[in-house]
Amino acid sequence: MGAIAIWTVIAIGGALALGKIALYRGEAINATWFVIAAACCYLVAYRLYSALISAKLLALDDTRATPAERLDDGRDFVPTNKWVLFGHHFAAIAGPGPLVGPTLAAQFGYLPGTLWLIAGSAFAGCVQDFIILFCSIRRDGKTLGEMARDEVSKRGGFIAQIAVLAIMIILLGVVALVIVNALKSSPWATFTLAMTIPIALLLGVYLRYLRPGRVLEASLIGVALVLFVVVAGRWVADSPAWAQVFTLSGVTLAFAIMAYGFAASALPVWLLLAPRDYLSAFIKAGAIFSLAAGILIVRPDVHMPALTKFVDGTGPVFAGKIFPFCFITIACGAISGFHSLISSGTTPKMIQREGHARFIGYGAMLMESFVGVMAMVAACAMQPGVYFAINSPPAIVGAAGDAATATISSWGYPVDTATMASLAHAVGEQTLFNRTGGAPSLAVGMAQIFSHTIGGERLLSIWYHFAIMFEALFILTVLDAGTRVGRFMVQELAGRVWKPLGRTGWMPGILLSSAVIVGAWGYFLYQGVIDPLGGINSLWPLFGIANQLLAAVALVVATTILLKMDKLRWIWVTLIPTVWLVTITMTASWQKIFDPSPRMGFLAAANAMAAQLVAGNIPAAKIAETQRLIFNQRLDAMVTVVLAGMILVLLVEALIQWTAILSKRKAAVLHESPYVATRWAAGAEGD
Amino acid sequence: MKRRTGNWLGHIRQTVSRVWRGIRQWCGDASYERYARAHARHCCGATLLSREQFYLEEVEKRYSRVSRCC
Repeated sequence: MGAIAIWTVIAIGGALALGKIALYRGEAINATWFVIAAACCYLVAYRLYSALISAKLLALDDTRATPAERLDDGRDFVPTNKWVLFGHHFAAIAGPGPLVGPTLAAQFGYLPGTLWLIAGSAFAGCVQDFIILFCSIRRDGKTLGEMARDEVSKRGGFIAQIAVLAIMIILLGVVALVIVNALKSSPWATFTLAMTIPIALLLGVYLRYLRPGRVLEASLIGVALVLFVVVAGRWVADSPAWAQVFTLSGVTLAFAIMAYGFAASALPVWLLLAPRDYLSAFIKAGAIFSLAAGILIVRPDVHMPALTKFVDGTGPVFAGKIFPFCFITIACGAISGFHSLISSGTTPKMIQREGHARFIGYGAMLMESFVGVMAMVAACAMQPGVYFAINSPPAIVGAAGDAATATISSWGYPVDTATMASLAHAVGEQTLFNRTGGAPSLAVGMAQIFSHTIGGERLLSIWYHFAIMFEALFILTVLDAGTRVGRFMVQELAGRVWKPLGRTGWMPGILLSSAVIVGAWGYFLYQGVIDPLGGINSLWPLFGIANQLLAAVALVVATTILLKMDKLRWIWVTLIPTVWLVTITMTASWQKIFDPSPRMGFLAAANAMAAQLVAGNIPAAKIAETQRLIFNQRLDAMVTVVLAGMILVLLVEALIQWTAILSKRKAAVLHESPYVATRWAAGAEGD
Repeated sequence: MKRRTGNWLGHIRQTVSRVWRGIRQWCGDASYERYARAHARHCCGATLLSREQFYLEEVEKRYSRVSRCC
């Protein structure tokens, strides 16, 4: 009775807070409402919806031994305490996506993104992560690709493999672009990030030769050194000679990041990649908890309106109407196909009991969504005029400060050059105009929240550069680990053509495959850097489409398995998110390819530039660059066609399978491992 | 009163030690000890890897599959 009363109060609190943020139309709304709405909705979703899935769909069975118990080898299969595994799983799924996506989607106002973050995670993202984790546990920790091949079809497995490679390439290109845009013309930020490389090398040597495997002490030394270089960056920025050394153009930074990616992929993993990952894990956890605490302490006002005029698709940050682009832009905080790779990776091999899958699979995704809500609050807490001045590319608002402020003010979001200059000075930057990509505006928002908690205005520049360093370090971790995994995928494919290329220890093969994968994402990065619209405009939607394609693969696998488990009555749990994802992905793909507006459609943009070229309106010096831009637009259109085509093939494949199962033409054979009773007593906890 | 304070301190000590253990496991600091324990339990006959060998093999394996998300 008492429990019912508590849950009723939580549900009413969530409904009231949601109602407040949905219906409020005043000057500013306090961020506390966002925290209450999100927390109450997540609690109710966890208590009711995940319990329903656990009991009715999956029938989680704690008497059944998990792969970690049956195959325990102390290395891959390790029974792990559920809180520790929750931390592992959360650290693996939480990347820069839930920070950048909501920041970009704030151009529609705070409401659409916040509602999608909350509802999308509860009804789609968490469901996907939870069910794929369960399916993998029941199959000895098989990967998504293996499950797609066994349970759907060989073609399904092949699509999953290609989708993973496609998403990897586009993801790495777009996140690298976010770093480039954050570091461009910023000597302080560039110095700080550059210094994390020798720090990582130092830690690599420490962990390899001096104190092998002592991760905790090495990470603490590393974190102290990183905090020192954040502060030291100011001295570099204040020194004219050193500031010049670290003031780099977008193209130079792009090539520097490609060189870093190549080195991280080709060098021994203990030297650079692993120590950087250990370092970033602590900084990531610290920054996320500090942001949550900062929002609760400062309780900032959200100045962005609930809905902006840009829901009609004319926004400066990226082109596209609220439907479908809000749901494509915010991928990771609501649903991310990439998570299904983690849910079918290490986590299922470490889980101690089936019952823990609910807390780890569903719960960790709720926490990631909460990170997305905090990013939305941080972005919307600044004045809308300032937000648009930072995130709008020069091709839309003009490169000069006066022109940009006049354009943005004419939209109804007042901002002036004096405000922007004083903010840039306060955060230690030369300018904050046209800093597209989401990272700088998020850093400004985070710095304002942190400085209100500790240090006031005096420490704003330190906090800003701490936030930039945190975002960049976060992204570089994804970039170097992703490049290396991409290298293995390329080697696996190349090994089918010529065997030696598949050998992961053969140096020519390593160098060649590293060059191929870096060249692939590097090309997308380069095209983003030279794009006059800032690159994010076309690349982020492409990433969203690729990510949601992978989510569609995961949900189709989950739906097929549920059908085979004879759970037709509950099939809507995965079927509705699948239909929603296919709808938004196909609509976005269609619009990105065929929309007649050059700002929106890849082909229209290519045709418009080609027409300018034919009419002789392009100066001779710009002809080669324009031809490159035309090629890039057509390439993006082709990539989108391939991604959309894969979704259609997968859908047809799945429908054939489902019809065959339902009409009993095909036996519903599940590829689960046989039941083995657990030897552990109820309530016993492992390591 | 003294006994109650003693209980309190005991609880705090227990909680701190549990949190410390959790952090060490989360970040991988305790991996080798866990491996050595599992080796003693299961791997009769197989050679126990040194801490350095174990660390190198672990990181090599971890970064050959998708371990970080977007």
